[in-house]
Amino acid sequence: MTAEVLVTWATLLLYAAATALSGIGVVFGKEKLIARATAVGAVGLAFQLTALGIRWVRVGHGPYLGFYEVAAALVVFVVATFVLLAWRQPRLASAGIGVMPVALLLLGGAMLAQGTEVPMTGKLTSVWLGLHVAFANLAFGAFVISFGLAIAYVVRERSKTGEWARRFEKLPAQDALENLTVRYVLVGFFFWGIMIVTGAIWANEAWGRYWGWDPVETWSLIVWIIYAVYLHLRYTLGWHGQRLAWVAIAAMPLSLFTLVGIPAVFDTTHAGIGGLGKDL
Amino acid sequence: MRGTILRKTVRFLSSPRLAIVLMAFVGLWGVLGSFVPQGAADAPDIAAWAAANPALEPVVSALGLHQAFTALPFIVVGVFLALTTAVCAWQRTGAAWRRSKTLREAAKTGSALAGSAPDLEIALDPALDAADAIRIAGDTLDRLGIPTKRGDHSLLSVSPAWSVWGTGVFHWSLVAIIVLIVLGSLARSSGQMGVAVGQTVEDRAEAYGELEAGPLYRWQGVNRRIRVDAFDLDYRTGEGENEIHHGPTPTVSILNGEGDVLESQLVYPNHTLKRGSLAIYPVDYGLSATVALIDPAGDVTQRATQLIDFSGNSKDGTAPISALTLSGPDGASYQLLVTVPLDRVAEGFLGRVPDVPRAHVVIIAADGTTALDAEVEPGQTIEVPTGGSLQVLAVDYYARLQVVDDHSVPPLLVAGVLAMIGLGVATLVRQVLLAARIEDGPDGRRLSVRMRLWRMHTTSRGEIEDELRRALSAAEGSAS
Repeated sequence: MTAEVLVTWATLLLYAAATALSGIGVVFGKEKLIARATAVGAVGLAFQLTALGIRWVRVGHGPYLGFYEVAAALVVFVVATFVLLAWRQPRLASAGIGVMPVALLLLGGAMLAQGTEVPMTGKLTSVWLGLHVAFANLAFGAFVISFGLAIAYVVRERSKTGEWARRFEKLPAQDALENLTVRYVLVGFFFWGIMIVTGAIWANEAWGRYWGWDPVETWSLIVWIIYAVYLHLRYTLGWHGQRLAWVAIAAMPLSLFTLVGIPAVFDTTHAGIGGLGKDL
Repeated sequence: MRGTILRKTVRFLSSPRLAIVLMAFVGLWGVLGSFVPQGAADAPDIAAWAAANPALEPVVSALGLHQAFTALPFIVVGVFLALTTAVCAWQRTGAAWRRSKTLREAAKTGSALAGSAPDLEIALDPALDAADAIRIAGDTLDRLGIPTKRGDHSLLSVSPAWSVWGTGVFHWSLVAIIVLIVLGSLARSSGQMGVAVGQTVEDRAEAYGELEAGPLYRWQGVNRRIRVDAFDLDYRTGEGENEIHHGPTPTVSILNGEGDVLESQLVYPNHTLKRGSLAIYPVDYGLSATVALIDPAGDVTQRATQLIDFSGNSKDGTAPISALTLSGPDGASYQLLVTVPLDRVAEGFLGRVPDVPRAHVVIIAADGTTALDAEVEPGQTIEVPTGGSLQVLAVDYYARLQVVDDHSVPPLLVAGVLAMIGLGVATLVRQVLLAARIEDGPDGRRLSVRMRLWRMHTTSRGEIEDELRRALSAAEGSAS
């Protein structure tokens, strides 16, 4: 228990450092600091994987039961997606200014709200649940990246040729940056769709109905619809620029609310999975 | 005239603005519905919400938000959304057909878009060798995520023809899902029935405590029985640290009209009993008492199983789901109520079945007076005021089963999988046709690029132009 707690705190500090380095790097135009922020984020990711590994061995199941585990797994996927993106396309590393704070706040909130451990029961022993949670994490990772890219787009667009445009000058051209934002929204939309379908299959196996308008089910559909609206605005109405970016920025917090807010607040069948230690 | 109306209807339904407005409505309605308790108007939590929100309740009730997802506005919008999706799918099918034809021809002939004006022309230094220019342009496009096939004077990037079908398949699958959900709700039966251990119940509407059957569901075609063979209060699998508690688990059998067993298995979450369109899930459990009424001649005149739920409010810790009716020798009717007294400790009831199971039999006369109040052990017989005697045959568990007969589930799953395949292709696969060629003209040598970036997110038209110009101008011997 102690080792797990210590490593988790070290993770939090590393994410805080990555957030600070990313911010300072972008504000003062220090490319090296931005690159170091990514490296520190990667080390933090390794620490967090270690902490979750220790927990996995201790509780006997993967990180998908209870508020802390769900939020921590989301953080892993967000940081892993970002590190992978920045490693493959270093020019996008400055998007960390939008991504790392989300990871930091989410992990910090999860540690503060850490509830009791949820025991594994027969209802939770389903391969569909594993797929459902995995795709929720993947989708959220993609949505947070689109959020970070959209923030970079808006900041640079508002600055035009000013200071902030210079600070983000390593990023791709605005139209390519917008394309990348759309790409991550598309990927997230796809993964979110799989999350809904696998969740429906699991619900059918576990509860005898594939859809029950449970608050989490309803909100996951709402988020999917919001991103569908985003894609229709882009592809059928031809929206571009800041107003499209603002939709991506506004949608991500709703996906976060759906994944960790609703199970914690509402009376839902997902309470035991994402809730604050309630029974399933 | 008819053609005009049809065209106008199609134009209206194919409007992207309409689709967006409908989606926004569904999203907003969902948000409102999630914040308001759902259920019948007389449900306790809805009454409590109404009392706590007297100002909002009239508006919420008027809008039908307590039954948000079966309310008329939601259904009407859902129907329009299905229609717009169908029209959109039709249009996308046409576009996909045209694009796939173009891609197939390009792949076959090795050239594309020759008849169209170039999207981009870059003047090349005459000193730059054509092969070098092609190599540099190809490398640049590769780096931007557009792999190319290279010739002596040309470059070609052609996505596979199937890549353009994703969005069409996705939208058609969505239409199928909406239609199947509607048909499923009309032709489905879903309800809960209680079946005691050892009891066999005919599957008909009267056997259900709660039942929702669509208007198209036909009970005439149902000829089966459901039996609970055994009950395990906490079925476990695995050993040691890997032991999993599956909770209360009945063994359930499906029998045909002749009594032959068709399927039989333990039923617990994630291990449902399925046969064709029928699926049986465990919901809850309780106790049961099976009694026989014996006439003075010693013949059994009636045999009945009383289903009994746990009840923290009652003296015995259990309460019968319903009363049995008996007729006395004088023609008066009596109510027979059977409970199973649980063992008590200081904190409440000890467990969910007593150490020595026994039935607490109460017979109430029509005037409300208690005619009999006795505890009877299984196998024991007592005299009853209606004449004859009553024997308790068994005290055991009963399983409350969710029985769903729904033909729409398998096709829904197929439609869901198809939708995800379509969406995966639409979102993850490139849809690009790009042809670049070295052309010599009166103004000198240039690289002409023609492109269709239907779905290409690693780069953009502007970035392709910038990067090609930069790479070709940086090449040795280039003056552009």
